Amino acid sequence: MRPLDEKETTMVFEKLFKFTGPNLKHLLERPAVEGPDPEPGRYCLRLHKNRVYYASEALVRRATAVARPRLAAVGTPIGKFTHHGSFHLTVHALDLLAAHARRRVWLKPDTERSFLFGNSVPKSSLARITENTKSGDGVVVMSMSDVPLGFGIAARSAQDCRKADTNAVVVLHQADAGEYLRKEEELM
Amino acid sequence: MGKRSGNKKGKDKVVLPPELPEIDDDEVVVSDEDVEFYSSDKRGADLVRKFDQKSIDRYVRRVTGKDEGEVERLYEERERKRQATEALRPRRQQDEDMEVDPVNALPIKTLQGKLVYNNAKKARREGNVSGIKSKGKEESADAKPSVQKDERKGKHKNQKGDSKLQNVQSQTEVPKGKLHSEVLEEVKEELSAEELFEKKKGQLAELGMAMLEDPESNIRSLNDMLSISNDKDQKVVKLGLMSLLAVFKDIIPSYRIRQLTEKELAVEVSKEVKKTRYYEYTLIRCYKAYLQKLISLEKQTNFYSVAVRCMCALLDTAPHFNFHESLLASVVKNLSSSDDVVRKMCCEAIRSLFINEGKHRGEATIEAVRLIADHVKLNDCQLHPDSIEVFLSLRFDEDLGKDDEEENEKNEKPKKNKRWQNKEVSKQLPASDKKKTRQELISKAREEVDADLRAVSFTLGPKERRRIQQETLSAIFETYFRILKHTLSTSVSRSKGSNVSVSHPLLGPCLEGLGKFAHLIDLDFMGELIACLKKLSGYTDLQDKSPRVDSLSVSERLQCCIVAFKVWRNNLEALNVDLQDFFVQLYNLILEYRPDRDRGEVLADALKTLLWEGKQQDMLRAAAFIKRLATFALSFGSAEAIAALITLKHLLQKNSKCRNMLENDSGGGSMSSLVAKYDPEAKDPYLSGGLASVLWELSLLEKHYDMSISSMASNILSMANLNPTQNPVPILNVNPLEAYKDLSIERELSKPQGKVLTLNCKRKRRGKEFVALSPDALEKAECLVDEDDLKEKLESHFAVLRGISENERLRAELNHTMSSINMYKEYKKQKRKNKKTKTGSKKVAKV
Repeated sequence: MRPLDEKETTMVFEKLFKFTGPNLKHLLERPAVEGPDPEPGRYCLRLHKNRVYYASEALVRRATAVARPRLAAVGTPIGKFTHHGSFHLTVHALDLLAAHARRRVWLKPDTERSFLFGNSVPKSSLARITENTKSGDGVVVMSMSDVPLGFGIAARSAQDCRKADTNAVVVLHQADAGEYLRKEEELM
Repeated sequence: MGKRSGNKKGKDKVVLPPELPEIDDDEVVVSDEDVEFYSSDKRGADLVRKFDQKSIDRYVRRVTGKDEGEVERLYEERERKRQATEALRPRRQQDEDMEVDPVNALPIKTLQGKLVYNNAKKARREGNVSGIKSKGKEESADAKPSVQKDERKGKHKNQKGDSKLQNVQSQTEVPKGKLHSEVLEEVKEELSAEELFEKKKGQLAELGMAMLEDPESNIRSLNDMLSISNDKDQKVVKLGLMSLLAVFKDIIPSYRIRQLTEKELAVEVSKEVKKTRYYEYTLIRCYKAYLQKLISLEKQTNFYSVAVRCMCALLDTAPHFNFHESLLASVVKNLSSSDDVVRKMCCEAIRSLFINEGKHRGEATIEAVRLIADHVKLNDCQLHPDSIEVFLSLRFDEDLGKDDEEENEKNEKPKKNKRWQNKEVSKQLPASDKKKTRQELISKAREEVDADLRAVSFTLGPKERRRIQQETLSAIFETYFRILKHTLSTSVSRSKGSNVSVSHPLLGPCLEGLGKFAHLIDLDFMGELIACLKKLSGYTDLQDKSPRVDSLSVSERLQCCIVAFKVWRNNLEALNVDLQDFFVQLYNLILEYRPDRDRGEVLADALKTLLWEGKQQDMLRAAAFIKRLATFALSFGSAEAIAALITLKHLLQKNSKCRNMLENDSGGGSMSSLVAKYDPEAKDPYLSGGLASVLWELSLLEKHYDMSISSMASNILSMANLNPTQNPVPILNVNPLEAYKDLSIERELSKPQGKVLTLNCKRKRRGKEFVALSPDALEKAECLVDEDDLKEKLESHFAVLRGISENERLRAELNHTMSSINMYKEYKKQKRKNKKTKTGSKKVAKV
């Protein structure tokens, strides 16, 4: 387990920034709630076995006592570095992103299932979309009862959506809550 | 010779003797020499005596033979001729005098040796000039009373019964030979100003009545009225203008008079047509003169309001008539006048123009809208808000935008049909050739009839109507966007550092108008419009770090949010869009609201449009708003509180999950998201952790002095015990805006009695506000101001106290000295007494 180097940090932050925008600051500066200490301090990012973890300082301090091969995880995993060296957000980051994201997309109740099976979001299943969404922005996909279902990349802006064909893809799938079932082994 | 010829030629021709040189008897002077000659030489005298008188007579008179009457006639004739020549002579003599003049004057010899009669000529010229001058004077004197002459004419016509006037007439007419101006001045002196005024008033009334009775025959008196309104007296001019207005209002026809073409002029017309043509011609000429007069008078301060009133009334009644362009132009120019009355009049005129489009088929509307747009452009958006507010009374067809598409569809359909029909027809063609031609004829005739009908019925076809409305709309939006752009650019430049305070008087009505016509905005503009509104509402994206717009007031920014919301809602009904940024803005603006500075209605309206009418809120945001609204309700007056509470209740009803905020369980239980602690200062509702808070404010509000608020609060609190699907019995079924209005009216009514009370309450509430919403910079500033105030008050108070104590001290000193002086006096008295007694005793001793 080690802190991220500069290159890795920029890669991670760039990915997160797509979703959170300026809220990225809040993501890192908010007071931590995890850990046994009465004052857990702030959150920090740690790299362990190609995975990036989001953990409170208190947890990180404790984790240093554990040997590297024996440490399974610390805090919340938010993504992983692939063999090519690029960074992918994983579904674990969903809660974190949902709280801080700027753009959201709401799905119609009967089309949630399709998204949870790993499909992209077509226009027909779109119930609501944040106004200033542009293509290329990261969006969090929510159910109508405000439960975060997953996240992805907007394929077209909110205004284009209106003119778009009903089958046109609005959000490109990146991760969804269904992965907890479908890719159980991969996730851990 | 004469005799012979006379004899030869016959009796009828009589030759009169040569005329004797006219010599008066006095002038015949017999000289001394002659007398001597005759006396010395008697023979000569005899010779003279010997003259045969008869022959001489015969010779001289030659007419003796003719009859007496004839001769006499001849003599008379000669006499007449002489007189005639004499009559001619004086002029000649004058001329001769003039010519002679230079001879009398001394000539000047020039270097070349020529003699120049310089002085004489000059004198003559001067004489001429002076003559001309005097003539000119006479003319001007004539010109002055020209008005009076007209009046006299009028009198002749109309006011024979008025004895006073007749006196005047006789007075003015008798001394015709004298100078006009003198007489008129005398008359003026005689007639007091009031009488003149009354007279002219009566005259105007008579003329006007005559005009209204029979405009066709009396059309010429328009000229008279116009000339009266040229009077020097301002009152008369005003009256003239107004009466002309009344007349024009009545007689202006419902059509537009056009100029006759040459062809038409060439054609011989009947008497009646000629008469109407004359009538129309006079009418239009007078109308033109009247308008020109109005426009020129408008520039004078005395006649300003009258002229504008006339123009407004004319525009109101005759927006279709000739010259309405100039009328419109001047009315629009006065829309932003600084005079309240004038501005109101103009606004009303334009508004009625917009509303009663049937009068002018919408053409004037376009013109007016374009003129206003130009006006705004010229004045760089610095106008009175009224000038834009008039747009709000415009009306458009609801299906203005959609029609085009339908039309296209319609056009396409027939094409298909045609193709199909063509096939059919081609099959049938050889058989039904005759039928076809007949059908064509019928359809042609029908079209012609339709066209005629349209021309007569004075209404527009749907196509034309739509075209006009579209043009109007585009002009309006051009204006609106210009204002927005201007506001944006000035406020940005201001926040960059230049401290020029720029007001945006037009922004309010502009936003209102955008809200009203939101459903007609083209989708292509929408992105830019929303971005602009977002900037104006003060939303800052930390990402692009654009300069913050601070110059707008809270209500204006709230209006921006409302408009953006309306625009989206009206245009994108199919797709539900979440205006997150505007919600964030509203969330922050609630904190900045101050009841006395900002308009409460706007806030209530914003709550209504954004939160109450919004279809779906997501949970975190709803919770944040609920918490903030509860705090807000606690901090401000009852009207604001009821609006906030109604919105709060609505949010709680829609988001049943938020109801656990009503339970006394801080931390929000399992529902709390990543933010575990409520942060009242958070800028983003998502990060404020509203779900983790408890709505303790409601139990305080239950004890509110206002019944409606306390009952509403308890109603909301009762929701905690209900199932998530159940809703409590509604008390008030109104939206926040209506509730706000109701309560604010009530407050206005009850103000006089409970003024002190409300003041106290307000003060208390301010204190609470500080506790609840830890003060931001603005409030700190206010706090500082308060401290200064307090300091000053305390200082003055203590100064008074100090003064009093000082006064007391001084008074005590004074008393002390006074008493000591008194003591001293007593002491002296006693001393004297003692002395007296001593001396007394001494005396006694002596005695």
